[in-house]
Amino acid sequence: MSILKSDTQPLLKLLLVDYNSHKTHILSEAFDNEHYQIEWASASGMSLLHRVRESKPDIIIIDIESPDRDMLDSLNMLSTTAPKPVVMFSEDQNSQVIQELVKAGVSAYITGGVDSSRVRSIIDIALARFKEHQNLKQELADTKQKLSSQKVIEQAKIWLMENKHCSEKQAYHHIRKIAMDNSQKMEDVARNILSLANMLGGSHG
Amino acid sequence: MADSIMEKRSLKVGFMPLTDSAPLVVAKEYGFFERYGLDVTLEQQNSWATMRDKVCAGLLDGAQMLAPMPIASSLGLDGQRIPMITPFVLSRNGNAITLSQKWYKHLDEHRLGEGQPISATAIASIVNKKIANGEKLRFATVFPYSCHYYQLLDWLSAGGIDLSHIELLIIPPGNMIAALKSGEIDGFCVGGPWNAFAVRAQLGFTAATSSDIWMDFPEKVLAVLASWQMQNPNTCKALVQALNDACHWLESIPNRFEAAQLLSGSQYLNMDLNIIAPSLLGSCLTYKDLPPRQINTYNQFADSESASLNCPSIDDGRWLLEVMQKSGHLDNPSHALLQLPHIYRQDLFRQYFTANQDVAPR
Repeated sequence: MSILKSDTQPLLKLLLVDYNSHKTHILSEAFDNEHYQIEWASASGMSLLHRVRESKPDIIIIDIESPDRDMLDSLNMLSTTAPKPVVMFSEDQNSQVIQELVKAGVSAYITGGVDSSRVRSIIDIALARFKEHQNLKQELADTKQKLSSQKVIEQAKIWLMENKHCSEKQAYHHIRKIAMDNSQKMEDVARNILSLANMLGGSHG
Repeated sequence: MADSIMEKRSLKVGFMPLTDSAPLVVAKEYGFFERYGLDVTLEQQNSWATMRDKVCAGLLDGAQMLAPMPIASSLGLDGQRIPMITPFVLSRNGNAITLSQKWYKHLDEHRLGEGQPISATAIASIVNKKIANGEKLRFATVFPYSCHYYQLLDWLSAGGIDLSHIELLIIPPGNMIAALKSGEIDGFCVGGPWNAFAVRAQLGFTAATSSDIWMDFPEKVLAVLASWQMQNPNTCKALVQALNDACHWLESIPNRFEAAQLLSGSQYLNMDLNIIAPSLLGSCLTYKDLPPRQINTYNQFADSESASLNCPSIDDGRWLLEVMQKSGHLDNPSHALLQLPHIYRQDLFRQYFTANQDVAPR
């Protein structure tokens, strides 16, 4: 049965950053090899970054006290390495408050005991939350892109109207025709028109 | 001297093992916290994100933070929106940009003049060479919501460097030197003691300091949750007063040397005095053969002439919002502008120090 299961569902690859090996090893026992493929990283700084690039994990698990946390968190903000969900763990028994924060959605934390079903659900939640966040970011980027391309086309239209003395409709058709003839995006055609206008010292601005 | 009703006396305060943690270390070691009836445990942290999370979770009562962090947290830029305030600026300046020593000979006519910073125009030819090889010059800082990060971008842009020709990384401060040595990064923008460390180790040269980029801008602030301050108003005041005393104590040069000795101890930075002391004494090491630059305000903690040095002014906050927007960290600053007076609490600072003469140096 278990073979069938792992056939249909690929293993989730976890990268465990080994800052404090005792704690990390206890944690690793929560993950069965039917669902998880565990990789270890004992490096720090740039070497850890290389390790993340090579191993392409689905999720990174790191001790809350590790100095590498800011670096791994930032993979979400900087585009040099594909962003990864990062889960923090802390064996501190007094971390009840952090668990409250997890409920509030601050970050993904594993605290206290390492009961395997609980740990797995935290991983699942972190993964789902991460995907949702990435989708939102992508949507936002798409919207921005769309807005900026509309703006460029608008400017090119205005330049054409002023300098070629045509109507807005004619200007629009002109840009669209060039785009179709050259199988380019209208946005790119508009950009070309504007840079040409700039070069000629045109008065579109 | 302490207020009669102190809500909480025993506090945990987070700090980073950096040169500008001096006010916290001094307040602890020389009894300034005790003077105001506080029993403070300093807890060393290893990452800014964990520092923030521990404050948010109440595991720390307050912490030394990077000036943009209370803003990022209050606006929810780096996760959950959790209202955080700063009633006190712990230090100004203190950062510098250090590049790998191997690039020094490529600076040609742009080399360091006596006492002068280097503009980023000096590295334009290096950037172009890299681009021609399909590579990018690589810089590291320690946290995205930091003055290090924004000052580095500003220095590069001001020198006409196209930011798309640069690769930016976040790596832990303790790994900067190794990364510079191995050539995995070409430079970094961080606080002390790491710039002096790189120069002493003959691995790098310090091109510019934050005093050259944003003169006298807040660097580290005391951060607490907005709710914590409301529940502990007198404790918060006592904490700020104790730190203010420590900052003023740090104005004198002999005291700074003492502070450098404290910081070099194993429970704090655990590092050679000759690496920690220069910046505290107003000296910026630049390059192996050159005399250091004299920058009296390299690490600035207080000014007996002007109490406003420690005031988290809304104007400074507004400047941060602008650079955060420019760097793509903030979409719409109009909402943030409205929030700012609730984050940079200049009102609290004034309230603490105008009723009596506590601002005056002791």
